[in-house]
Amino acid sequence: MIEPARLQEELAGEATEAFDAGEVMIGHIANSPEPLIHLPDVLPFDISITKHVFMLWLVAAAVFFLVTFTVRRYLRQPQMVPSGFANVLEYMVIWVRDSIVEPNVGKRWVRTWAPWLLTFFVFILGANAIGMIPIFEVTGLFNHYVLHGGEDAFLTHLGHGGATATANFNVTAGLATVTFFSIIAAGTLAHGFVQHWKHLAPGGLNFVLRFVVVLIEIMGMFVRPFALTMRLAANMTGGHLAILAILSMVFLFAELFGSALLGIAVGAFVSVPLAVGISALELIVILVQAYVFTLLSAVFIGMAIHVHH
Amino acid sequence: MDNPLVQVDPGLYFWTIATFLVLVFLLAKFAWRPLLDALERRQETIRKSLDDADAARGELERLQSESAEILKAARVEAEAIVSKSRADALQLGEELKQKARGEADAIVREAKRQIESEKSQALREIRGEVADLSIRIASKLIERNISREDNERLVEETLESLEAGQR
Repeated sequence: MIEPARLQEELAGEATEAFDAGEVMIGHIANSPEPLIHLPDVLPFDISITKHVFMLWLVAAAVFFLVTFTVRRYLRQPQMVPSGFANVLEYMVIWVRDSIVEPNVGKRWVRTWAPWLLTFFVFILGANAIGMIPIFEVTGLFNHYVLHGGEDAFLTHLGHGGATATANFNVTAGLATVTFFSIIAAGTLAHGFVQHWKHLAPGGLNFVLRFVVVLIEIMGMFVRPFALTMRLAANMTGGHLAILAILSMVFLFAELFGSALLGIAVGAFVSVPLAVGISALELIVILVQAYVFTLLSAVFIGMAIHVHH
Repeated sequence: MDNPLVQVDPGLYFWTIATFLVLVFLLAKFAWRPLLDALERRQETIRKSLDDADAARGELERLQSESAEILKAARVEAEAIVSKSRADALQLGEELKQKARGEADAIVREAKRQIESEKSQALREIRGEVADLSIRIASKLIERNISREDNERLVEETLESLEAGQR
């Protein structure tokens, strides 16, 4: 999400330069160019806290406190009567348990995998949702106009880019890696470590066929998390790109015809209504993508538990 | 690659996994497990309550039909008692009437018999008196011309003829 005011402000700041829609759009989606907090490299890797890491932490903390606080208050009552947010939470938990977890992993493994998949759902939903709220645009404006933060101020870095953490495929790859190991863990818990790997090669086939099947199975092992990674990241990126592109029309038209008034008119009658519509669509997309990721993880875990040959 | 959209970022990858694992641990411990357990318990409680309610309803129905049965039986019994006592009363009345009639008959018969015997005794006495009287009158009339034996025989004959004539 982005505010037209901010784009305008950017345009005003670089009045002499031409407006580059692609640059602005990528700047708003990609991770912050500079880390917020520099940390020493671990081995060859830079594990500095970038804006997306910060967003993930923000989401994790918000989700943890919201859920835990609600559950604790709910369970403290002498009788379990849900009220307010506890209603939503209870409905969600029962829905995930009964329509995602149980049909896939089976009754016996619900207790093991329900917390795991519930966390997937709320964490991804939270991370998707935070992209819908222009908090960083607001803090950026606040920083620019009120605090006059310099180039190295914390809020200046925070204001740079990164609409949604789950639009970054490094984040979704991390989540898919968790699923990847969850699948192995599920198979190991259900059948034992050796037996789980033996399921890659079904018996009763000749050598060549078995070799091919093992090859396909191993490919499948990696393709599944890869598909999870790309689906979530691409979906989260897409909506934001669409919104940014539509809002960019304000400045493109203003520049093209040299008239700020025309730009404002396009913004008021075309861009903002369309952006609002796409934002509404995005609200559905963030829910659906969180659901799809959770559901597919449950399906893959279930496949490792209930092996069919 | 210099496109920031597809930049490989191992740090972010690492932090994502770390954040997720910590969140899973904390949420599972403090929220999901307690909540899931409580939901299961409540489900169990509700199922049990419904079962109990079902059982109670069944018991109530059983008791109701039982009490209806008892009421019906009581009504039938009461009717039987009433009709039996009515029949008894009728019979008793009949018996009493019969007995009273019998007694009355007996009294009447006794009375008739007494009257009869009184009458015949009275007749006998009157006859004796009459005989004596006749003898005395006849004796006076005839004065000793006839022996006493003759007299008595005569009287006897006369009386017999009288009696025969009377019959």
